[in-house]
Amino acid sequence: MILWAVILFYALTGLFFITYLFWRKRPVVLFARGLFLASIAVHILLTLSLAGPAHRIPLASPVQAVNMMVLLASLVFIFFAFRRQTAVLGAFFLPVAGVALGMIAPRLQANGTTLPVMFQTWYPLHTVSVVAGEALFAVAFVVSVVYLIHEGIIRKGRLHWTAASLPPLRLLDRILSACLGTGFVAITAGMLFGALWASSLGVDLSQILMKIWAGAAMWLVFAFSLHQRFAIRWSGRRTALITIAGFLIMIILFVGVNMAYPGAHGAGLTR
Amino acid sequence: MNRLGCLSINHRSAPVEIREKVVLSPQDFRSLCSRGEEVYALTTCNRTEVYWIGIDEHALLKHMASLSGVSGESLRGYCEIYQGQEAIRHLFMVASGLDSLIIGENQILGQVKDAYRQALAAGTTSTFLNKALHRTFRTAKRVRTETSIGRYPVSVASQAVELACHIFGDISAGPVLIIGAGDMAGIAARRLKDRGAGDLCIINRTFSAACDLAAELGGKPRSFSALKQELLRCAIVITSTGSPTPIITRAMMDDVMKQRRNEPMIIIDIAVPRDVEPEAGKCYNCYLYDIDALKTIVDKHISFRQEETDKALAIVSAEVERFARWAGSLDAQATIRDLFFLMDEYIASEMGANSLEPGHAAIVEQKLRSSLKRYLHRVASYLKEHPTLTNIEQTRRIFQLDEDYQDRHKG
Repeated sequence: MILWAVILFYALTGLFFITYLFWRKRPVVLFARGLFLASIAVHILLTLSLAGPAHRIPLASPVQAVNMMVLLASLVFIFFAFRRQTAVLGAFFLPVAGVALGMIAPRLQANGTTLPVMFQTWYPLHTVSVVAGEALFAVAFVVSVVYLIHEGIIRKGRLHWTAASLPPLRLLDRILSACLGTGFVAITAGMLFGALWASSLGVDLSQILMKIWAGAAMWLVFAFSLHQRFAIRWSGRRTALITIAGFLIMIILFVGVNMAYPGAHGAGLTR
Repeated sequence: MNRLGCLSINHRSAPVEIREKVVLSPQDFRSLCSRGEEVYALTTCNRTEVYWIGIDEHALLKHMASLSGVSGESLRGYCEIYQGQEAIRHLFMVASGLDSLIIGENQILGQVKDAYRQALAAGTTSTFLNKALHRTFRTAKRVRTETSIGRYPVSVASQAVELACHIFGDISAGPVLIIGAGDMAGIAARRLKDRGAGDLCIINRTFSAACDLAAELGGKPRSFSALKQELLRCAIVITSTGSPTPIITRAMMDDVMKQRRNEPMIIIDIAVPRDVEPEAGKCYNCYLYDIDALKTIVDKHISFRQEETDKALAIVSAEVERFARWAGSLDAQATIRDLFFLMDEYIASEMGANSLEPGHAAIVEQKLRSSLKRYLHRVASYLKEHPTLTNIEQTRRIFQLDEDYQDRHKG
C-alpha cells in the first residue's frame, strides 16, 4: 500500500517537474520541490517498514536493493531540485524512479527471518556501499541522457525553448564526473567488503563465479570511463555515452546474475 | 484623450541623417510646460518621439525645428503624427518593441524608462502622461511575459552568446577571443560585452585596429602571431576577418584541442569567406557555427517573433482600451455624476442595513440624502471651477472611483 503511495507521489512530482521543463514558472517548481520532499518522506517510511521485526537494513534481496537504490538516488536529486539550474533534472529522473519501483512492486516484501550471515560486520558494509555506488551510477545515467539531449540541441543550433530549462553542458559534465568518481569509490569499496565477507564465511568462490565476473565487468567499464576522463580528458559526450553503456550493462548483469543466483546474499551463501 | 498627441521620427519615416540631428531630451521642452501642458520625449538610435498634452502641434514642430536645425517644413515631412488613442497605442507598441527595427527587442523599454526619469526630473510630465507611462511599462511587461516575442535571439552576436551560455552557463567568467577588428567583429564584441563578457581579447592583423577596438571595449589587444596561444586560453571565439583563406585549420584545432585537454570550445565564424575550416568543427568538444548556420537559426527566430506579434498586439489593444476608459473618466462632469451615483449606492446600502418602519425610513433617507448632497455639492462646485486633470484624478482617487466605476455601476 505504502509502495503504491510512493509510486503515485513520484509520478505526480515527475509531472510537475516535466511541466516546469516546458513552463518555467516559480510556483510550479516550488510545488514540485514540496511534493518531492513528501515523496522522499513516504519512501523512507516504506524502506523503514521493510526492515522487518529484526530491524535489519532492508537490503536482503535484489528487489529491496532496487528500492534502496531509488531512495538514495532520490536523495541526490532532491539536492539538485533545490538548485535553480538543475531543478529540471527531476523531470528525467522521477519517471525512471517510478517505473523502477513499479517493476519491483509485486515482489517487494519486508525482511522475514534474519539469517545468521546478516550479522556479519561485512554484510551491511558490502550491501550499503554497492547500492550507494549503483545509485550514483543511476544518477550519472540520467545526467548523461540529459547531456546528450542538450548537446544535440546545441549542435543543431536551434535553441528550442525547452533547451533554456536544461542545465549548461559544463555543469552537467561536472555532475557526471562527481557521480562517476564517488560511485566508483563506493562500488570498489563495496566489492572489497563483499570479498572479505565471502572469505570470512569460507564460501566456495566457484559457486558465485558468475557474480564475481559480472561485478568485475561493470567495474572495468566505469574504471575505463574514469581513466579516459582523467588521463586523456574525455569529457562530455564520450563520458555520457560510456556511462549510459555502463549503466545498461550494470542493469543487465544485476538482473541476469540475480536470476542465476537467487538469494546469493542470504540462503545461497549459507549453503 | 483626444488632447494627447505624438510625433514620431523613426527608422521608417526618416533617414539616419535626419534622425541624428533630432536628438531631444525632456529638458528641451521645459519652456513649453508652463500652464499644465505635458511633454515626454524619447530619443534612441532609431527614433525620436515626442508625446504631448495641451500643446499646439505647430508650436511644437517649430520648437523642435529650432532645436534640431532642421527646417519645420522638412521636419513635418519626416514625421508620423498620431492623435488620441492612436498615440497611446503607438507608445505601447514602441515600449513593447513591436515598432522596433528588430521586433521584440527589449532594450527599448529601458530607454523609455530612462527618458521618463529625465522627464520627471525636468518636471515636464504630470497626471496624464505619468499614468500613460506607467500603463506603458505594464503593457510592455505583459507583452514580454505573456508572449514569447523576446525569447529567442535574432542577431548573430546574441545567438552566439546564447549558444555559449548553453555550453558554459556563464560567459562572464571565461576569456573571449575576437579575431578581427572590422564592423562585424566590433558589433559582436560589443554585444558580448553588453551580455557580461569580462575578459575580451582582440586579435587583428593590423595591430593598431585591435588596439582601437580593445581600448573602446576595455579588452586586451594581441598580435596575430599570438592566435594559437589565445585559442588555447579562450573558450569562446568569434572570428570575422577579411582573410581569403581559413586562418584556423583542422590541424591547428586538433593540436589546440589536444593541448586544451578537450576542454569545450565554441567558435562563431561570421566571416565570408570563412575563417575556420569546416572540418575543424569535427574536433571533439569543439562547437563550430558559421554565418549560414547562424543566419538560418536567426531567420527561424525572426519568423517565430512575427508569429508572436499577433498575441502581443491583442495585449496592446486591450491595454489601450483600458487606458481609454481611464482617460474618459477624467472629465469633471463624469466625475461629478459618479460621485452622485456613489451617494445613491451608499444611501441604498445604509437603508438596506437598518430595517426601519416605512414612515421613518422615508424621513431618514431624505435627511441622509440632503446632508450628503450638501457636502458633495462643495466638491462638485470646486471641480466645476477648477477642472484640471490633477483635481479630477485626485477626487476619483479619494472617493475610489476607478475607471471602470461607471461601467460597473451601469452593469
